[in-house]
Amino acid sequence: MSGLHRSPYTGFSTEFTEYRQYNQGDDLRYLDWRLLGRTDRYFIKKYRADTNTQCHILIDTSASMNYAHTTSVTKFQYAQFLAGSLAYLLNRQQDAVGLVAFSQDVHTHVPARNRTGHMRTIFGTLSLLEPGGETRLAESLHKLAEILTRRGIVVIVSDFYDQPERLKEAFQHLRFKGHDLVAFHVLDQNELDFQFDDPVLLLEDAETQEQMPVLPDVVMAGYRERMRRHVEEMRECAAANHVDYELLTTKQPLDFALFSFLSRRAGK
Amino acid sequence: MSFLTPLFFLGVAALAAPILVHLVRRTRARKVQFPALVFVRQVPQRTIRRRTLQNVFLLLLRCLAILLIVIAFTRPFFSGGSAAKQSTGAGATVILVDNSLSMRREPLFSEALKRAETAVDDARNDEQIALLTFDKRYAVINRFTADKSRLRTVMRTLSAGWDGTDYEQALRGAESLLGEIETSGPKRIVMISDFQQPGWAQNTATFKLANSTELLPMDVTGNDPVPNIAITNVEARGVVFGQKYLDNLAVHVSNFSDTPRDHIQVDFQINEQTVEKRDISLNSRDTKVIEFTGFNLNEGANRCTIDIVSSDFAPDNRFYFTLRRETPAKALIVESASRGQSDSLHLQSALTTNDDLPFTFTLKSTGSVDPTSIPEYALVVLNDAGPISSGLAGALTKFVEAGGQMIVSTGPRTTTDDLNSNLQRIMPATLREAVQTKAGESVAITNVKFDHPIFEVFQESGRLAAAHVIGYFRSEPGATSTVLARYEDGSPALVESRTGKGRVMLFTSSLGPSWNDLPLTPLYLPFIHQMVRYAGAREENPWYGLGETFTVRKEANGQPPAVDTPAGARLSEARNTPDGDLLVTAREPGFYRLRYSSQPGFAAVDSDGAEGDFTKLNFGEFISGVTGGAGAAEGTAASRNASGEEVEGRQRVWWSLLLAALLLLVAESVLARRTKMVKMVG
Repeated sequence: MSGLHRSPYTGFSTEFTEYRQYNQGDDLRYLDWRLLGRTDRYFIKKYRADTNTQCHILIDTSASMNYAHTTSVTKFQYAQFLAGSLAYLLNRQQDAVGLVAFSQDVHTHVPARNRTGHMRTIFGTLSLLEPGGETRLAESLHKLAEILTRRGIVVIVSDFYDQPERLKEAFQHLRFKGHDLVAFHVLDQNELDFQFDDPVLLLEDAETQEQMPVLPDVVMAGYRERMRRHVEEMRECAAANHVDYELLTTKQPLDFALFSFLSRRAGK
Repeated sequence: MSFLTPLFFLGVAALAAPILVHLVRRTRARKVQFPALVFVRQVPQRTIRRRTLQNVFLLLLRCLAILLIVIAFTRPFFSGGSAAKQSTGAGATVILVDNSLSMRREPLFSEALKRAETAVDDARNDEQIALLTFDKRYAVINRFTADKSRLRTVMRTLSAGWDGTDYEQALRGAESLLGEIETSGPKRIVMISDFQQPGWAQNTATFKLANSTELLPMDVTGNDPVPNIAITNVEARGVVFGQKYLDNLAVHVSNFSDTPRDHIQVDFQINEQTVEKRDISLNSRDTKVIEFTGFNLNEGANRCTIDIVSSDFAPDNRFYFTLRRETPAKALIVESASRGQSDSLHLQSALTTNDDLPFTFTLKSTGSVDPTSIPEYALVVLNDAGPISSGLAGALTKFVEAGGQMIVSTGPRTTTDDLNSNLQRIMPATLREAVQTKAGESVAITNVKFDHPIFEVFQESGRLAAAHVIGYFRSEPGATSTVLARYEDGSPALVESRTGKGRVMLFTSSLGPSWNDLPLTPLYLPFIHQMVRYAGAREENPWYGLGETFTVRKEANGQPPAVDTPAGARLSEARNTPDGDLLVTAREPGFYRLRYSSQPGFAAVDSDGAEGDFTKLNFGEFISGVTGGAGAAEGTAASRNASGEEVEGRQRVWWSLLLAALLLLVAESVLARRTKMVKMVG
C-alpha cells in the first residue's frame, strides 16, 4: 500500500513529474544535462516528492456519541474503530498521526508522530476515552485550528450536532490554516429514522438530561424532515469548504465505510 | 319520553368502566436517552396536547356509546300528550273494550279497564264518551255522556266473557254509535284489546271507518308470542240409536305456537268417566285430528268432554259435547199384496243391517195394514204398494199432517190414479205416465241437490249417476214441493214436500230392483240410510257455539223444562217458540242442564276454538284496512294513546340508539387505532 493520499507538496524525488524552462537561480543539480547535450536547451527536471505529512484525527467524545439503538455498537465505539483504523493506515505509510479528543473542550491531544510504537500510544489513548459532556464542536475546532500549527490532514469524527453556520466558520478557519479536512458524520440509523415501537416515550437528552414526552408516530415525520435538512446542510457546508464529507451509520460495516471513503480520496 | 324497562338504567354504572380504565391505565412513557433532541424539540408540541384532547374525546365516545346502549335497553319511546287534550274542540269518543274469551288471560282485562279509565280521565270534561264492550258482537254499556264518574262506575261492573272476537263488528257498532251524535269536534274510537289475528278477517273485511273518525288502538299485551294449545272442534253425530257409537268422533287439537309440543295427553270422558286417553305430539302451528270410536253410550243424554292436559290458557283445554242415545221409533213398510217375490227384500235388508237407525221396521202388505194402527208409527214407507184403500189413505193423510214421515216409492204395481186421488193432499207430486226405456238403455239420476242432507254424503264421490234406471213415472211437482234429484230427461226423481207438520218424499222409480239397479250398487245402502235418517229428523247438534240459540223441546205436558246454566244458575231469559219449545241463547261454555221431568237432558256449549290463537294481528294492515289506506299516518297518530309497549314497538327508538352506539364504537375504534389509546404522563 502506497498511502492514503498524495503529498500536497512537490519536491525533488525519484518520481519525474515535468520539465520546466531553466530560470536563473535554479539549482544546476536538477538541470537535464542530456537534454542540453542533445538539443542545447536548458531544462530543469521536476520530481514529485514523497513526503511524510501530519494527520490529526479529531474524535468527538460528547455524551451524544454514546447512543446505540439500531445496533449494539454506540456511535462512540464506531468512531473509536474508525479512528483506530485510519490511524493504523496512516501510520503504515509513514505519515505522522495525531489524535485529538474533544467534547466541551479539547481534553486529549496526542501529537502527530510516525515513529515506531506511536500506534500503541494512539490505540491506548483511544481505548481510554469515555463519552461524556456536551458538544461544543465549533469552539473545539476553532481551538484546534490554533493548536495545529503545521498544516496537514484533519479528520473529524463526530455526530456534528451543532449549527451548520457555526461549523462552517470552524471549517473555514481550519482551511485557512491550510488543513485538508475530512469529516466523518457518524449517526445511528435510528437518528435518521426515528423509529420507535412505543406509543409514547420520555426522551432524555444525553448531554443536558432534559426530558421531553414524545409521541413517536406524531413526531416522526417532522423529526425526519429536520434531520434530513440538517444532513443536507452539513453536506452543503462541507462542499462549500472543500471538506470531504462522509455520512456513516453504525450499522454500516466499517470496511465498507473506509473503502467508500478511500475510493473517493484516491484521486486527490 | 318514557321508558319500558327503566331498571336497565342501572347499567349506567357501566360508565365507570371506561373512566376507570382511562384513569388507571395511563400509559407510562419509557425513558429513552436520545442525542438528537434538538430536532425533536422543533416539532410543534401542540400535537401532544391535541392527542391528550383526543384521548378525552375517546373517553367521551366510549361513555356515550355505553350510555346509548343502556338507554336502548330501557326501550324508550315518545309518548306525547293525550290526543283528546290536544284537540281544540270537544268531540265524541267511543271506548271499545274487548271482553272476549282471550281477555280472560290475567291481567289483560283489568289492564284494559285501566286503559279505559285512563282514556276517560284524559278526555276533556265536555267530551262525550260512550262505552262498548265487544267479542263477536258488541254491547252498548253506556251511551254518550260527559259524566266521567258514571263511566268509571260502569266500568267496574264489566268482566271478560267467553265468546270469540270480531273487530269489524265492534268497529261497526262504534261507528254506528258515533253516527248518532252531532259534534263539531273530532270523533274517535278507542279500541282496547289484545288484538288477536283471528279477530280480523283481512281478506273478507269490507268495513271502513269514516274519514272523520280516528281510530286509537290500545294493545294490552306485549309483543312476545303466547303459546297455547286448544281443542278447536269436535265432529260427532249427536244422536245415536245403538249402544255403541260406530261413527268416528273427530277431535281437532291445535297448537297455536311456534314451538312443537310433545306428549300432550288427550282425555275423553263420558259422564265424568274416562273412556280413553291418547298421547299426541303437535308440530308448530299444527292441527291434529284424533278419532274415537266403538265406545258405549248410556240411554239418554251423555255428557262428554275432551280434555287436554296443558298448563297454558285453561278455558280452551276442555271441549263439551253431548251424545244422546235414543230408542228407535217404529216404522212401517207397506208393500203390494200382489207381489210374487217381496219387492221390499232389498229395502228390508238395507234397513236391518244397521242397528244405528232411528227406526225399527215392520213389513206389511197393503191389505194387512190396519189404518187405526198408523199413528203408532213414526215413519211409513209405501214401497210400490199398489192400490191403497181410502181408509188407509185417509189415515196416512192424517198421519202426515200430524207430523208423521212418509216415503213413497213407485214401481210396476203402482197405480197413479189411486195415489193421485187418495193421497192428493200429501203427495209432493202428481204422477203421470210410466216411462220404460228401450232394452239395453237406461237413464241416470242427475241434477242432484248435494247440499240436501240425503245427498251430502255423495257430494264428493258424485257416484249417484252410476245407477241405471229403466223405469220411472213422470211427475208434476206441487207448488210447495222441492225436487231433490232428476233423471236425465228432467223428470223429477226425488221430490219432497211438507204437509202439516209431516213430510213426504216421493221416489218416482222403485226402491227394489224392478225399475233400476240401484239395490245392486254400493250406493243403495247409504242412500236408503240417509233417506231414513232424514225422515227420522232426530238429529241434534252435539254442541253449540257461544252466542248460538238452541231449541229445548217442550215436555209431554206442553211446558218447556227449566234450564240451568253451566254455572248452576236457573236460566230466566229464555224465549218460547210458537210451538211452546224453549229458545236458549248460549252464554257460557259447559253443559246446560235441561230439567225434564222424565230424565234430564243436556246441551253442550263451547267457546270459539280460534280464540285460543293469540297471534298478534298485523297492526299496519289492520289500521290500513279499517281506515281505507291512510293507515300509516293514523296508525302513528293512534300510537300516542296506544300502550307503551305498542308505541315503543312501533317507534323502535332502541334500534336507532343501538345503531348510533355502533357507529360511535366504530368511530372510537378507528380513532383509538390512530392514536393508540395514549394517555400522557404528567
